[in-house]
Amino acid sequence: MAPIYGGHLVAKYMKEVENVSLVFTLSGGHIENILDGFTEYGIRTIDVRHEQAAAMMAHAWSIYRNEPGVCLVTAGPGFTNALTGIVNAYLDNVPLVVLCGRHPLRDDLKGALQEMNQIDMIKPVTKWQATCYDTRRIPEYLALAFRQATLGRPGPVFLELPPDILFVAVEEETAPVPPRRVYKSSTHPDESELRKAADLINGARKPLFLGGSGVGLGDRDAMFETFIEKTGIPFALVNNGRGVLPDNHSLSISDGGFTSINTGLPQADVIVAAGIRFNWVLQSGQLFPNAKVIRIDIDPHEIDRNRTSEVGLVGDCGLVFSQLTPLVNKADHSSWLEKLRKAYQAFMTTEQALRTTPSDPIHPIRLVAQIMEVFGEDAYYVADGGDTSYFGLAGFMSANKAGVLIPAGNLLGCLGTGIPFAMAAKIAHPDKPVVLLNGDGSFGFNSMEFDTAVRHNIPIICVVNNDCAWGMIKHAQEMSIGEDRCTCAELGMRHYEKMVEGLGGYGELVTQDQEIIPALKRAAASGKPACINVVTDPTVTSPATILFYQDLSGF
Amino acid sequence: MKFSILLFALYQILKRAAKKNDAFRNYIRPMRARILIRTADGQRGRLFIFNKGVISSVAGNQRTFDAALVWQDAATGFSVMTDKRPDASFNAAADGKLTVEGMSVYAQWFEDGIKLVL
Repeated sequence: MAPIYGGHLVAKYMKEVENVSLVFTLSGGHIENILDGFTEYGIRTIDVRHEQAAAMMAHAWSIYRNEPGVCLVTAGPGFTNALTGIVNAYLDNVPLVVLCGRHPLRDDLKGALQEMNQIDMIKPVTKWQATCYDTRRIPEYLALAFRQATLGRPGPVFLELPPDILFVAVEEETAPVPPRRVYKSSTHPDESELRKAADLINGARKPLFLGGSGVGLGDRDAMFETFIEKTGIPFALVNNGRGVLPDNHSLSISDGGFTSINTGLPQADVIVAAGIRFNWVLQSGQLFPNAKVIRIDIDPHEIDRNRTSEVGLVGDCGLVFSQLTPLVNKADHSSWLEKLRKAYQAFMTTEQALRTTPSDPIHPIRLVAQIMEVFGEDAYYVADGGDTSYFGLAGFMSANKAGVLIPAGNLLGCLGTGIPFAMAAKIAHPDKPVVLLNGDGSFGFNSMEFDTAVRHNIPIICVVNNDCAWGMIKHAQEMSIGEDRCTCAELGMRHYEKMVEGLGGYGELVTQDQEIIPALKRAAASGKPACINVVTDPTVTSPATILFYQDLSGF
Repeated sequence: MKFSILLFALYQILKRAAKKNDAFRNYIRPMRARILIRTADGQRGRLFIFNKGVISSVAGNQRTFDAALVWQDAATGFSVMTDKRPDASFNAAADGKLTVEGMSVYAQWFEDGIKLVL
């Protein structure tokens, strides 16, 4: 065997063992040899303009492709720039593999370029972190990283690779490549717990299923479908679980967004909550004080977190469904579902009227309805922003798994995720339309990534819901400190479409309702990354703002 | 008539609770909200105005509100609003006797506040 550089060994392992085909990155001197390894072993690279976007794209790739997303960033500022994206992945339980450059081991404590203690900084926000000190152990460390990212509850991992080991060559046979381990063991609940859960489900009159990201993991969608169709339980899928069954499924209540969930949960007598945390979004489980709750989660610590459960089933959601299904009775809850539908629709009369009524100035709910009119349910939708996230969540419907993602609505509340997520969606599903609804505030964080989209020919369609302000903040300030004292909340009118045009994409400004659909069609026909900048009603706020304000005002 | 009296009585109860009931006072302290309760025909109604802990009210079918609870008729509104069962409003909505106009999150906030008082 011939000598092989450490950087090439990284690429070889990832290509040949982990089947990594794509890495999100931004180049840097410390990681040059890994980049050269990608060329050598035919791994595609998407190089971005800010490392935050690389981490976010890899995060999104994990969801859209159901495999670990990999990002490679350089030392120092490359690392710190990626940090927000890594924290977001940590709070979202996503198997993100972060490979990072480092100042040379040789120069520790000498004041080397980009010398900093990256490991201590990353420790609280990753599932596993390590520095590799020996070229020959690179495959071993990578194997550990990929297993740590994916086994049990997934999460981001961080592997630091200094140039001392990347830029030197070793004989290939001295760097053994561990096989990709496929574990045949699994975690599943005890039979008695399963029976308790089945008894509760069989006795329920008004059951509701609430599924989160844990339902979306893995390739066990069919087990969920069998469970739902046998039990007949109305369901809502949120976070990265959205779309495991299509939004237009006969038992889905996704058409009501959060209104349907908030209406149904307090009325349900049994709630089956799978792969979802009872965090602030669900008011820590306090919305349904009288319901009997069955929790399914791979992490036993979640079972009674914030809200005591009647039954806790610890295990992979798909496996639990497959064990539970034979124990439950075939049931029909259509009358309860019909009643629930009528109730939440009665609470949404204004929202439903807004969808079908032309508006001037344009209402964001109307804008989302017009987008749906053009692209329908066989598309991938992403929303990013404060109020904008709510409007996207309430209005977008998709038949595709992860067809509606609202990454800014997750625990970190991370604005700027939209463009990276939409680009990853388009790379993962090149034949489907990918439409991003972006607030004008959140557009600013990663809008330079339109350059990435142009260079790599990633034709996403970004619709800016432009209320000329940090809308959620502005409306919350109006409630708290008064309309005349809003501070740092206005953005003013900006021609984001011209910015995208300047970067080589397609852009249009829309100010009238009747212009929306033609502009969207022209954007799709252009075949370019596109920005349709839609001026919307600045006075409109969303229920999310009210809840956000209430949450922060109760002191 | 009973419905209008009920709405007026509710206003008096809320106004008193805003002074005497700590939980309710804390609950309404941060909020600005205009909640209209009316009948579908617009013949009877009352607007409840919450302004940072201060409650005021105007009789009649007002046009400006954050959320409006619209009852099929006065008798239905009266019977459901005086019903102590936790699913009374849900059932009324499901049966087409209650709709919410505007932002239902405000209506929910109002209902949760009422529970602290009644």
